Amino acid sequence: MQIELELNGRQRTFDAAKSDVLLDVLRRNGYTGPKRGCDTGACGFCTVRIDGDPRMSCVTPVAKVDGASVETIEGLGDQNDLHPIQAAFVDNSALQCGFCIPGMIMRSKALLEENPDPTETEVREALSDNLCRCTGYKKIVEAVLDAADRMNGDAPMAADGGAGAVDCEAPPWSQGGGDTE
Amino acid sequence: MSDPEGSASENERPDGHRAEEAVETDAFPGESEEGESDRTPGEEREHLTEDVEKDDARKIVTGEARYTADYRDRFPDLAAGKVIRSDIAHGYVEAVDASEAEAMDGVYAVVTPWDDVVPDKAYSSSGQSYPEPSPWDMRVLREHVRFVGDPVAAVAARDAETADRAARKVTVEYEELEPVLDPERATDPDAPRIFDPDEVENKQSGADYERNLESRFEGEIGDVERAFERADDDRVVETEWETPYQSHCVPEPHTTIAYTDEDDRHSFITATQVPFHTRRQIAHLFDVPVRDVRVTKPRIGAGFGAKQEMAIEPIAFALHLAAERPVKLEMSRREEFYALRFRHPMRMRMKTAVSDDGRIEAMDLYTLSNAGAYGTHGMTVANNVGTKPLPLYPRVPNVRFEGDVVHTNLPMGAAMRGYGAPQGHFAVESHMDEVARRLDLDPVEFRERNAVREGDVDRSVAILKDGDRFTREIRSCGLRECIERGKEAIGYDETEQPDEDRLYRGVGMALLAQGSGVAGRELGAVRIRMNEDGSFHLQVGGVDTGTGADTMFGQIAAEVLGCHPDDIVVIASDTDLTPFDYGAYASSTTYISGEAVKEAAEEARERLLHWGAKMLDEPADRLATGGGEVYSEATGESVTLEDVGYEATYGHDEREQVLGDGSHSTDESPPPYGAQFVDVTVDEETGEYEINEMVFAADCGVAINPALVEGQIEGGEHMSLEYATSGGLEFDDEGNPEVLGFRQYGMPRTTDHPPMETIIVETHEPTGPFGAKSIAELPTNGVPPALSNAIRDAVGVRVTELPITADDVRAALDERDR
Repeated sequence: MQIELELNGRQRTFDAAKSDVLLDVLRRNGYTGPKRGCDTGACGFCTVRIDGDPRMSCVTPVAKVDGASVETIEGLGDQNDLHPIQAAFVDNSALQCGFCIPGMIMRSKALLEENPDPTETEVREALSDNLCRCTGYKKIVEAVLDAADRMNGDAPMAADGGAGAVDCEAPPWSQGGGDTE
Repeated sequence: MSDPEGSASENERPDGHRAEEAVETDAFPGESEEGESDRTPGEEREHLTEDVEKDDARKIVTGEARYTADYRDRFPDLAAGKVIRSDIAHGYVEAVDASEAEAMDGVYAVVTPWDDVVPDKAYSSSGQSYPEPSPWDMRVLREHVRFVGDPVAAVAARDAETADRAARKVTVEYEELEPVLDPERATDPDAPRIFDPDEVENKQSGADYERNLESRFEGEIGDVERAFERADDDRVVETEWETPYQSHCVPEPHTTIAYTDEDDRHSFITATQVPFHTRRQIAHLFDVPVRDVRVTKPRIGAGFGAKQEMAIEPIAFALHLAAERPVKLEMSRREEFYALRFRHPMRMRMKTAVSDDGRIEAMDLYTLSNAGAYGTHGMTVANNVGTKPLPLYPRVPNVRFEGDVVHTNLPMGAAMRGYGAPQGHFAVESHMDEVARRLDLDPVEFRERNAVREGDVDRSVAILKDGDRFTREIRSCGLRECIERGKEAIGYDETEQPDEDRLYRGVGMALLAQGSGVAGRELGAVRIRMNEDGSFHLQVGGVDTGTGADTMFGQIAAEVLGCHPDDIVVIASDTDLTPFDYGAYASSTTYISGEAVKEAAEEARERLLHWGAKMLDEPADRLATGGGEVYSEATGESVTLEDVGYEATYGHDEREQVLGDGSHSTDESPPPYGAQFVDVTVDEETGEYEINEMVFAADCGVAINPALVEGQIEGGEHMSLEYATSGGLEFDDEGNPEVLGFRQYGMPRTTDHPPMETIIVETHEPTGPFGAKSIAELPTNGVPPALSNAIRDAVGVRVTELPITADDVRAALDERDR
């Protein structure tokens, strides 16, 4: 069968088997940002947005997205022009192995579009379906709160969207993003 | 951002580093002054103690970082593998019927234990040095199956879906044997025997396979029995402790691609912590030269010890040989939860005698470790139950440590972050708290009285070894500063009780130690080469499992060479392209591989100074590197590294590639130290408890990249929180696993985490690169004992089994009130 969808703003058509889930089709076609972590919708590593909603692509039958709008991590910024959420994850050292991060960022993006100024509790609730084994979530939650400030224009952004402390006059902990707890 | 001090500005140095030790000097003069004298002044560090951006951060947040499974586009004819696993706990495979699977469209190969491409050799999957201190008790595919999950056969097919369907069509007939499921019963004379002694080579110390005993070990310092006899009975305390299985929950499941390249070299792109051990083990197992095997580690979705194992590479390689095309083998989450690797469950007993003035006179620790079906890391993990926490108290004159490592027909334990130390700390540090409370001493003061100090000579770390080669002198120890700052952060002296009658609040503390690499069993090597534009390629065998090790390597090299970390291109962990390294385990990467980077950079720096001397017409010993230049402080003259690079590469009279090699090994393994604090509120009626806050103060020497260090601490505490409160596996009475996914397993989510505060206490370890020790494993040790101690503090009862459930607390309260 063929699936037509709007992927990261572009109209695309993919060949797919009936038994395929969205994650299979994305990964087979080079969109390897979404990761396979459990195949049961229990870890969140494959989170993408479908018509704006965060969804686990590993349990989404591909037939269900025919005609839908799908956004993956590949639709956000690139390395020299990061989206503010991506930049906040970099600046807050909110990543280690990185396997959960594309899903975590897509989930955060959905949250911040719906609720641009979340409390820490709201961030923790919104991210509770996305597991991370490396960070203890602390810096991830801080990054999402920092991203909210950046997107609201409340906090100075690192000049190039994610520079490390070495290039900054002031290190990240002395910048506005620090008052998040 | 985390700023434990609240207001950062006061504590900042001009270089942006928080001068934590400076503000604390007054409070702890003795402690800080000693450290201070060794310390490299902050202003001399350009790229250390800096939160340099993690070098893979941008490709991670854009989804461009490539993990093993993301390399499928390189292999147009890539086949997918699937493993057929034993569904009985103990028995023999009598027959495998693969005819139906083999007849399926798109199936390339089915392999069984009897295939020519499948080696029939005993080996160990443990990613350890040669010969592995683990028994060779495994076969690639297994005729004698020893747990539900043992690999029996495997399929390669055109895609994963076809491979799955084909695997379900393979039928296996078994002769079933009675399983052994209880480690206490495993050594009974009438217990079923799990190994025929002939099935095992490279047996370990004390092995007795007639009794399902993988290893038995003991060591003693002084005379423990005599010390107990001489002590007052009321000052001898004995306790027992039990810990469960824990899953690594490794984000990226074990995944490997096996292929043979156009030069007939056997190649792996694989999610491993141990590329060089895997290369050697594949070569031995398949009887091919080491040089013809290439192991490449791409980005990996973390390891935590799960990938300090050659767990699936041999099956993938056998499938590749049979299918005659590249094969990708990717584990499912279900397989990760029952068939791969775990933390060893243990039962421990601890006994101490304490003098009238509060000195510990004797410590006696015993552990019974359940190795499960195979012995990978069985003995060595159990060894670390004692040799990691007992060195917290190196001045105790009488110490004994014994252990039995037994087999059962349950999943195999293996390496897992902490490596026996989490079990050992639960026993030792909960015990010490209990001792203090029973003797009416303050648990923290009791610890401060007895705990390790700088200058102590620690024999307990080598209690299981002959001779004194591995007795160590403690050259850096910030433990007391960890205690004091942790106490202050958690509010140890000012705990307010809740208003409600049934709620009680308490604070518990545990001291922690780990090592920095395996003493006398490490090797890390590095080559640095200069490019003509003044940049460098750093080829390092050390393995970044997601921790940021590659970033740390670049910082160390940049610090020595005097360039910016961005000018260092790190090429890591490819057995064809980089020098050797034992791999990422035992908290060795900064201390061992990082020191090798420093040595290589120092050698290259000598050559930079040689060229600088030539170009500036000044003696090399009056020159230095820094800021991207070779410069003379005397004259103010300088040449850029780019000038040096071009001159060295294309010079008229003389040319040279500026190179530096480093190869580091040592008998040292200095312990990092920590203090974990847990603040808990317990409901006396229900036994339910809530952790209000956790504080972790760590002495890891000099934190080369504090943000990455904090990340290690917070992630380690996450695993430790799970171990204390929610982890564990269940099996039915036939050995069938009952926890098969994240939904049944209690991995903490964002909403399960209490607030966490992280404190880095800087000391200077003279044997480490720029004063660094390790950090990665230390924080996995703390929450179970600190929580048990906090509950004891709150409601006066002791919980001795993990995970600590409301039912356990309630049962202990009922016992108290009986």
